Amino acid sequence: MKRLLAPLFALGILLSACSPTADNGTGPIKIGFIGPLTGDANTYGSDTYNGAQMKVDEINEAGGINGRLIEFIVEDARCTGTDAASAAQKLINIDKVVAINGGQCSGETLAVAPIAESAKVPIISGGSTSPDVTTAGDFVFRNIPSDALAAGATASYLQENGLTAIALITENTDFAIGFRNSLIENMGEDSVVFNELVEPGTKDFRTLLTRLQDAEFDAFIANGQSVAVEAAMAMQFRELGLDHPIFSNNAVVSASLSEIAGEAVEGLKVVMPPSEGADANKFDTFAAEFTALHGPAASSMTYAANSYDIMGLLAKAIAEVGTDGIAIRDYLYGLDGYDGTVGRFSFDQNGDVVGIALELQEVQDGVFVKVSDIAVE
Amino acid sequence: MMQLLINGLIAGSLAALIAGGLALVYGVLGVFNMALGQMALITGYCTWWFHQVLHLPLGISVICGLIVGGLVSWFVFEIFVNPFYKRHRFLPLVTTIALSMILDGLILLIFEEQPHAIIPGIKDTFQVMGAWVSSMQILLVLLTVLLMMIMGYVLHSTSFGRKIRAVVQHDQAAMSLGIKAPLLHRYIFIMSGVLAGLGGIYLGIDQSLTPVFAFPITIKAYAAIIAGGKGNIWGAILCAYLIAFLEQFAVGIHWFGLFYIPAGYQQAVALLFIIFFLLFRPNGLFAGRARTA
Repeated sequence: MKRLLAPLFALGILLSACSPTADNGTGPIKIGFIGPLTGDANTYGSDTYNGAQMKVDEINEAGGINGRLIEFIVEDARCTGTDAASAAQKLINIDKVVAINGGQCSGETLAVAPIAESAKVPIISGGSTSPDVTTAGDFVFRNIPSDALAAGATASYLQENGLTAIALITENTDFAIGFRNSLIENMGEDSVVFNELVEPGTKDFRTLLTRLQDAEFDAFIANGQSVAVEAAMAMQFRELGLDHPIFSNNAVVSASLSEIAGEAVEGLKVVMPPSEGADANKFDTFAAEFTALHGPAASSMTYAANSYDIMGLLAKAIAEVGTDGIAIRDYLYGLDGYDGTVGRFSFDQNGDVVGIALELQEVQDGVFVKVSDIAVE
Repeated sequence: MMQLLINGLIAGSLAALIAGGLALVYGVLGVFNMALGQMALITGYCTWWFHQVLHLPLGISVICGLIVGGLVSWFVFEIFVNPFYKRHRFLPLVTTIALSMILDGLILLIFEEQPHAIIPGIKDTFQVMGAWVSSMQILLVLLTVLLMMIMGYVLHSTSFGRKIRAVVQHDQAAMSLGIKAPLLHRYIFIMSGVLAGLGGIYLGIDQSLTPVFAFPITIKAYAAIIAGGKGNIWGAILCAYLIAFLEQFAVGIHWFGLFYIPAGYQQAVALLFIIFFLLFRPNGLFAGRARTA
């Protein structure tokens, strides 16, 4: 499909020479979306896209932003930096979007950040949790807590439960490495007895795991970014007769994880942003509407809700300060609090979200369920 | 150590099926099929569909999957290879690259992006001489070896095999003796598709199927056939196993009691080793004097 689009893309570049250079105050307001609609990470791509589209439809049905409709322009970045960068170039230089919802993968957001920064287009991510996003730029925001927090919470949970020696296998992606580094920072180098990095998409872990048979450790951190890789890791771990508890990160939270790995992932634990916001009713209403339209979330409803809130927040910002990128950025930094479906949140001086808590989730009978709340300091 | 050997056998059998399919076509037709990985995945996906969606028994699903795989190979041969390969044997290289892109798109469209497993969940494992294996893995490895033996028998001890070898040596001369070379080419292409398709099913049972996996398995099979001596099918199969063992040993052995090779270099180390070998035997480790089937 993308290859078919290439000639259109070239045509677009030609035509863009004739189009106005900035938003001229009439016609639809263009907002872009970048996310992994295909590839191994597609489940959160489809959830975030569906969530965002829901809000766009609601706003447009209600008459748009100050009478102007939203034109929602969607690009697939396949969870890779290169695809995200070309998607951002297209959205910013050809479509002239006012703001972007995305990327969703951390690798996407980190690749889009410098492009957005130089064009002064604000971007908000509802899925990128890499600690690097904190310092990615002045125009980069997110309404999902950084992994530095999630990894810190995972580390404290491990320590509180006496699981002080950990074995780590990490998929070589920006997100998974970010999670690993924060985890090691919080646990201390001495706690890590096994630490290997594998190429993205690796599905044969048998020999690496064989080495674990002789190692002394308390918990296995299966730090993959995609469901297929995570499933292979967990299954082969259990098939080698290892019965240690398995922990992971929030990227693998997906309904298809249990469909593939079955009982291998029973009891697998992750620290996640809350599955229900502070206002449970509001979140449930959203979840019910979402499910009626698209069925259950492919990854987690949290991602869909974050993306839904981003569109609502952007619409509110544009309604109040107009379509200028710098004005929107300043509005977001100065935001007192936005009442979203996931709770009331604002941003700190780095564009990181403030006001969203975390919780511990565990796979029980094939479903991720909440075990306990985790306070974020 | 035993576990390393078993791990190598499991990974090697998968690679050998794909490399065998690739080498068969290259050995007989002189054609590189860049879409073989995708064809393997389609067979795997179809088997998944028959087993997990239609709930047919596994055996029947595998057979149905292989039939679909065979039909797809036939179709591919008629449309993307047959009209071109007689003009120049590198033309199909281009057409099959185009095909691989089309198939990538079709797989995404039909089977969608989320991974699928033909048999989900943990396989019951038990210990053999200190190594953990599942009965499914033993079955898969043994079936692969059995298949290779049948193929060896057919190629070297039947009149069909003799005809194939005649066509490989000189197809014009073989045709003058009444051997229908074009028909044999068709059979061989379909056979290679089915062989690779078994690889796809193997992958779907042992791990899981994802749309992006086709290219990496094709590349690894290429490494095996180049290292094995281009067109030498047994060399390709042996090298597929060799690369798999090297990959396992690279990360599984505590080298000189000092260090482990980081897992990220697992594939690079194995392929570097092959390159090193090729420096001394540029025609491949098992190269004969001419292309042989």
